[in-house]
Amino acid sequence: MAYKFQFRDVFAQQDAIVDGLVLTLQLSAGTIFFGFVIGTLVATLLVYAKPWARGAAHAYVEVIRNTPLIVQLFLIFFGLPAIGIKLDVITASVIALTINLTAYTAEIVRAGIESIPKSQIETGISLGLTGPQVFRHVVFLPALKNVYPSLTSQFVLMMLATSVVSQISTAELFHVGSIIQSRTFRDFEVYSVIAVLYLCLSLLLRGGFSICYRIFFRKS
Amino acid sequence: MSFIELKSVVKRYGKHTVLQDVDLEVEKGEIIAIIGRSGSGKSTLLRCINGLEPVQGGEVWVDGVAVHDPSADLRELRARVGIVFQSFNLFPHLTVERNITLGPMIVKGMTADKAATLAREVLKKVGLEEKIKAYADELSGGQQQRVAIARSLAMSPSIMLFDEITSALDPELVGEVLLVLEAMARDGMTMLLVTHEMNFARRVANRVVFMNQGKVWEQGPAKDFFASPKTDELRSFLSSVLH
Amino acid sequence: MIRELAFQDVLYLVLAMRWTIVLTLLALSGGGVIGLLIAACGASRHVALRTFARAYVGTVQGIPLLAWLFIFYFGLSIVGYNLPPWIAATIGFSIYAGAFLGEIWRGALISIPKTQWEAALAIGLTYIEQLRYVIIPQAIRVAIPPTVGFMVQLIKNTSLAAVIGFVELTREGQLTTAATFQPFAVYLIVAALYFSLCYPLTRYSRALERKRRVVH
Repeated sequence: MAYKFQFRDVFAQQDAIVDGLVLTLQLSAGTIFFGFVIGTLVATLLVYAKPWARGAAHAYVEVIRNTPLIVQLFLIFFGLPAIGIKLDVITASVIALTINLTAYTAEIVRAGIESIPKSQIETGISLGLTGPQVFRHVVFLPALKNVYPSLTSQFVLMMLATSVVSQISTAELFHVGSIIQSRTFRDFEVYSVIAVLYLCLSLLLRGGFSICYRIFFRKS
Repeated sequence: MSFIELKSVVKRYGKHTVLQDVDLEVEKGEIIAIIGRSGSGKSTLLRCINGLEPVQGGEVWVDGVAVHDPSADLRELRARVGIVFQSFNLFPHLTVERNITLGPMIVKGMTADKAATLAREVLKKVGLEEKIKAYADELSGGQQQRVAIARSLAMSPSIMLFDEITSALDPELVGEVLLVLEAMARDGMTMLLVTHEMNFARRVANRVVFMNQGKVWEQGPAKDFFASPKTDELRSFLSSVLH
Repeated sequence: MIRELAFQDVLYLVLAMRWTIVLTLLALSGGGVIGLLIAACGASRHVALRTFARAYVGTVQGIPLLAWLFIFYFGLSIVGYNLPPWIAATIGFSIYAGAFLGEIWRGALISIPKTQWEAALAIGLTYIEQLRYVIIPQAIRVAIPPTVGFMVQLIKNTSLAAVIGFVELTREGQLTTAATFQPFAVYLIVAALYFSLCYPLTRYSRALERKRRVVH
């Protein structure tokens, strides 16, 4: 049974697609920014804090990393209203995505911090630097450099994972796909186009991170 | 033709020429020590003999086999040419026994029983019979190196190549390895050793070859070699090494 | 009709975990086969094969898993196969897992030092024999901890099968929520159940990471 692929119907919806794309980019940018900043903070807790704080941070990281993102999303969007916290789709999406990315970032940055040899730290201290100074000048940037590939891979994965928030009807790229599909019934074509768009996004994002690396880390 | 013969051998890594026009002849039963600075091409020379490194020019003949020929089947030759490396390269996931019996059983088709007996024999020669069921990470450096030698001996080679086999060992472990080598020399094995152990070379080798800048710079009988160097380069090398 | 969240509901949720596990194992099998192929190509001596592997991994990893599931779910019905959700899900997960496993296993293969290849060559083993007796046994040991770690990812990934209608743990959670209107409690239980599957595996993978017998 021959099937004629009708991509024209999909391309006719390009405005909706662009809107979805923009929201995906915004969600990704926000999540990556907050996820990185808060994740780094949690990482320092994991390495340097008192045992009870370390334990709490560790518990948080383990719970998030061992449960699916979609369940975390449903808990935040559908579950929280039951205890009085009602969120709109965008807020719920950003919160769920950020909480998720923060946990992964924290693990990765922690590994980076712990990969700095003790001898480096001892040298810093011997030069008279204080603890925070040692962290800032001797540990942090080299740690980031060491884990840059895993960290940026995680960011790209998170950009792709924003597709999951389509399930609470957030109007990002994947959700737009479902809408177009229900309008045109061109299931396969729609999702193929969406897939290619994501692929382009991920290639661009990887390229961008590559350039960032060269700007920030090639001087030393 | 000699047992091992290298004629005008040229070896390049990319643009860098490591061996330039090397000529060398080794007779059966000879013990050759190869010395020189790092980068002089001595390890590369050794690795060309069993075909681990292909050559870009010249000829390498080992026991009648044209090693330089790209189409040559070297599997059979490699059973006859044993090589021991600086970093021992034991297989960490196998016991000492299995390390030794792997070659004979797969390459020579030996049965498990005969191979096990063979393993015990060669381990006896290197003085490590009791370690037959151990794993590499349970042994000291010197012991690992002796197992590596036993592994090569199990293939009944007619030639043994040693690539700086004591360089990675703590000084107190070197002696036990050199004892094994001396025993092999007494048994008439053809041996080529790239080494820094000058005293050992003087005592055990028949001939010493000094490599410099990718060429055989000077060679001669071990007895006088260290006492009366003929070239300036050898003289300066020896004085920097033998203070 | 809304009903109270009863013990029976919790039981159904626990039972739904079977399907999560089944789906994970199916994905592991399918993905394993593909992963072996991709790893072999990725570590091969031939540039064409290596490029193919890189292209496969890059493409699969650059597209969200949800998109892959939808493409196979809708795409296959176009070609004339009206497949039940679980087959579409299995194919989608296998393609996805194959890329990640292929990368992990390729990494394991190329992590074996060149000196091991040389030692094997020096005692006269052929390329295939070197792989079989010396390289692959060591590569497997290296590959086990990250592979076990990836299984945790797979278990979490199966939650997306709910979106194409396959009734595993997450979908059962959605259905239970619709019946009891207790999303907070239900999804908390669902999360706890996933945690009970994933956390032990995570710990195990870490323990494996710590004791490894490899070349120094």
